[in-house]
Amino acid sequence: MCKTRREESAVASVLPFSPAGALHRTEAKMPPLLQLSRISKSFGAVRALNEVSLSLEPGEVHALLGENGAGKSTLIKVITGAHTPDDGRIEIDGHPVGALSPARARALGIGCIYQQPALFPDLTVAENIALRLENASPARRVRWAARHAHAKELLHKLGAEIDPAAEVRQLSMPDQQLVEIACALGSGARIVIMDEPTASLTQKEQHLLFAVVRGLRAHGAGVIYISHRLEEIFALADRVTVLRDGASIGTNRIDEIHEASLIKMMVGREVATIYPPAESAPKDTVLNLRGLCSREGGVHGIDLEVQAGEIVGLAGLVGAGRTELARTLFGITPADAGEILLDGAPVCIRNPGDAIAHGIAYTPEDRRKHGVILEMPIAANISMAVHQTLFPGMWLRLDAERRLALDAIRDLGIRTTGPSAPAGSLSGGNQQKVALARWLATKPKLLILDEPTQGVDIGAKSEIHKIIRRLAAEGLAVLMISSDLPEILGMSDRIAVMRGGTIVTILDGKPDAHRVMAAALGQSAKEAA
Amino acid sequence: MSSPLKHWQAGLFRHETILLAVLLAEWLYFDSVGRRFGTLDNTFDILRHSSEIGLLALVMTPIMLTGGIDLSVGSLLGLCAILFGKLWRDAHFSPALAGVCTLGIGAMAGGLNAALITRLRLPPLIVTLGTYSLFRGLAEAITHGVDTFTDFPPSFLALGQERRGGLPTQAWIFFAAAIGIWLLVHRTVFGRSFRAIGYAPEGAHYAGLPVERRLAMAYVLAGVVAALAAIIYTARLGQAKADAGTGYELFAITAVVLGGTSIFGGAGSVHGTLLGVATIAVLSNGLVHTRQPREVAGMLTGALLLFALASGEVSKWLAKFRAHGHAAHPTPPLSAPDSP
Amino acid sequence: MTERSSLQTVSKYFRELSVAAVLVVLLLVLAVAAPAFFDAQPLFSRLARDTPTLVAACGMTLVILCRQIDISIGSQFAVCGVCAGALAAGKEPAFVVCVAPLLIGAALGAFNGALVAGLRLPSIVVTLATMVMAREGLRWTQQGVFINLPDGLQWFGLAQRSGQCALIVFALLLLAAMAWAMKNLSAGRFIYAAGSDAEAARLAGLRPRLTTFLVFVLMGALTGLAALMNLVQSPQVDPKSGTGIELKAIAAAVVGGVAVSGGRGRLWGVFAGVLLLACVNPALTYLHVEAYWEKAIQGAIILLAVVADGLRSRKAREAS
Repeated sequence: MCKTRREESAVASVLPFSPAGALHRTEAKMPPLLQLSRISKSFGAVRALNEVSLSLEPGEVHALLGENGAGKSTLIKVITGAHTPDDGRIEIDGHPVGALSPARARALGIGCIYQQPALFPDLTVAENIALRLENASPARRVRWAARHAHAKELLHKLGAEIDPAAEVRQLSMPDQQLVEIACALGSGARIVIMDEPTASLTQKEQHLLFAVVRGLRAHGAGVIYISHRLEEIFALADRVTVLRDGASIGTNRIDEIHEASLIKMMVGREVATIYPPAESAPKDTVLNLRGLCSREGGVHGIDLEVQAGEIVGLAGLVGAGRTELARTLFGITPADAGEILLDGAPVCIRNPGDAIAHGIAYTPEDRRKHGVILEMPIAANISMAVHQTLFPGMWLRLDAERRLALDAIRDLGIRTTGPSAPAGSLSGGNQQKVALARWLATKPKLLILDEPTQGVDIGAKSEIHKIIRRLAAEGLAVLMISSDLPEILGMSDRIAVMRGGTIVTILDGKPDAHRVMAAALGQSAKEAA
Repeated sequence: MSSPLKHWQAGLFRHETILLAVLLAEWLYFDSVGRRFGTLDNTFDILRHSSEIGLLALVMTPIMLTGGIDLSVGSLLGLCAILFGKLWRDAHFSPALAGVCTLGIGAMAGGLNAALITRLRLPPLIVTLGTYSLFRGLAEAITHGVDTFTDFPPSFLALGQERRGGLPTQAWIFFAAAIGIWLLVHRTVFGRSFRAIGYAPEGAHYAGLPVERRLAMAYVLAGVVAALAAIIYTARLGQAKADAGTGYELFAITAVVLGGTSIFGGAGSVHGTLLGVATIAVLSNGLVHTRQPREVAGMLTGALLLFALASGEVSKWLAKFRAHGHAAHPTPPLSAPDSP
Repeated sequence: MTERSSLQTVSKYFRELSVAAVLVVLLLVLAVAAPAFFDAQPLFSRLARDTPTLVAACGMTLVILCRQIDISIGSQFAVCGVCAGALAAGKEPAFVVCVAPLLIGAALGAFNGALVAGLRLPSIVVTLATMVMAREGLRWTQQGVFINLPDGLQWFGLAQRSGQCALIVFALLLLAAMAWAMKNLSAGRFIYAAGSDAEAARLAGLRPRLTTFLVFVLMGALTGLAALMNLVQSPQVDPKSGTGIELKAIAAAVVGGVAVSGGRGRLWGVFAGVLLLACVNPALTYLHVEAYWEKAIQGAIILLAVVADGLRSRKAREAS
């Protein structure tokens, strides 16, 4: 509590505007900070936004909820001036604004923190902050000392221990996110948009962020907060608006609605949040790790067993080493000590080719960059890992490939026009199914899933869960990495918790969230960077 | 449902179709305006003159599909030409043996590019800019800038100057290479890998594709084919000089980009490249016949390249609009496997 | 504390310092093996002859910083030189003769810039096309004919030695001014930003496309300036002048530490690169190596520079 308040006031002292505009309700009704009236935007034949209206009051945290493709990103781009709406009106402080450009939006006090930090990797932290906050006038003389001091001040007040002279390229993802937040703070933005800001933050940084959000609210700024995490929305937001298929389904005060209704509004139908249960007991041990270490990957002393038919969840905070372990098992960052045993026999895995040959499959965390190739057809994606078996010699067998793709489309329920459609034409959930199909075609013994339902809408999520459980029942050994605690708790037969590059505990039975979190956090508050 | 009709329409607007139309238009124009243009003799001339650039363009295609580029092929042609001459004249190899050795040298040179690009992950643009200078420089240094190799035996010169089976000899080699590289790119796993690497270099690695081996193959192949082109060049001209092949990489890249291959990798085709080669070859030949100065051919080729690039951008832009529709509104599931 | 910061300084300027070190070694070798290299008369001549390369390399640095490349400057150089020569031969006033090549170069650069920044076409292919078009166009109109220049134009009407000094001093001042601007003017920082991450620059309102366009225009103007500086050094204009200058400029930039991926590199490093490459050819002559090895050595130097970069970043990757 104390810490939060101190952080709030620390944040407040950074904000350049006065707290006079803060909580508002008793006086004469002030105009909303931001009022979007019947905004429409189309791209070619597609209506991305259909008469969406939204208001943001001063001193309010307004959550924006919606499945992927619902129009949230387009709406944000309209507000920040990156897109011009085809129809509708934007008012700031009750005054209509004409065409917005990114520069004009910034000048009007609109700031946005994107999920992927939009920083310059080759420049220093101080310069990054300065370029974002300074006036974009080309003839001005650069004041290096002032820039450095300003950055230092902002970062210090945020509680972040980042050297302003460091090159952004050398910073970790969470640190980059903090620099982004410092930029938003320093810009004195009164309308702050946060797009999935906690996606790559550690627990400590999430607390920092929540303090920032509360501080902004206390000072009369308005925050539009986009997140898939309902627990965050219920903790932070005052009101919540749900978007579906480009239209606003409704705006409610957070104390007047509950989770099930929100989900129903998002999806348009009732969705059970139960996870498919295990059908039978696990059988022989497929994977056995003894003292596995990889210096390049940053993991050490890994001891783990996974049996056929079971789902082992790999839990932990960002930076704990879960993806690194997966990459070591798959040969991206090969191990330099320890043993990997598959079906009892030791194997040496130096590259993904070795891993595939031994029956290990891996669906990567970054689906768009590593999981599927968006420009290539679905069939080509699905056959990508089985060239040697599907196409013996070196000739392509297009009919065999097509049959493989059609089977996968049917088995996994992929919604598409056909196997020759480009993977980029699919929704996130269907792309994930294509990624799964690719690896299932290799007939693996061990399937490693890295954030299998990240960026996937709720309907497709539950389909994927069912598929995973079915695969396990058919005899596959599954190792599942997920940052979604309910998902890990609901899907796993056992949970291995990682911290600081090693497995700290393996929990059997049905542990509760508290035990998992406690293990992930460890005794001390410091996490491995 | 409406697939057959849409497919046909889509075919009409594809890059290769438009290029084919341009080629036909060129041919018809020059045939009507130029004397001696449409004759068989002249067509063979076109084939003869475009074999070397055609070979370079063919082998540039897989490289550009991977998102890379090879600026050194023209210089390598020069280096291989003089080394061939030196092996024949000074080391007294037979043309056949000298030829085989030259192919080996080409492979090694391609291997140098490959090693720097795949092992050290250096950008292909700068590596091949360096070897562009290095290979040409070696050619100039070995020949002291002035040495020329001539007086090749007629049996060798027949390769570049005579006909076999009704066509110029080198045309057979060119066609064989064209078929081989087309099959490689469009019908083998290698071609599939090249595209995947071009679209997503890391994604290809995560899919278990042997990225380094495939890239190395593309650059080594370029070296071998450049050496082959050097031999044909020497046979055609009857002499080997250090400046052989100067500027050829420009025409090769132009042909590939004209043919619809994206410089960023992934998209493109070998038949497109062949059309691109034909377009440029017919253009420069036709201009000679209509008594236009040589330079106009170069200027028009440059303009054509820019036009092709610009229209490529516009069509990509349109395609993005259509694709955006798919992403926002997922289509209904397939009910039954459809027949092709 | 001071010891650590001096180590940090060395690490930060490692590239510039190592190139300077290689240059010093080369000069020492020459001082011992061929001291005639340092004779004043030919030394000044050579330095003056290389000032256009320095000017072009400055412009090329900005282009590469923007993550682009311009291989058409050789043809631009020839066109600007011939136009200026024609104007001079036509007895146009000196002012016109001096300003025209800059404007023509800027116009040619603007054409490149419009295609690269406006239509978002890849710069390697665009400048490939414009290089061929400009070169062939020039050959068509000029037919390889040399243009004789009026006497007053040589060395700006000064004595040869003064003219050479003037050119050298001017080039150095230009370099210093540009280096200062890149570090201390917002416009310079915008260039670094645009090359480091164009999308982030756009979101920050820095207008990377306009920046890229203007960089190409500046490149063209500097090429025109280089052509002018070359023009005043001889009594005739060779329409084939400028051949290979793009390669020299790119080589100097790469050797000097400018990253082809954009966003990093310093003009002082490029200066060291220009000096190094400028010394190579005459060093060959004085060390009795055939001049025909120049291109090969230039290529080898480019490769060595990028290999060194590659090894360094591989070590950094393995250490992290």
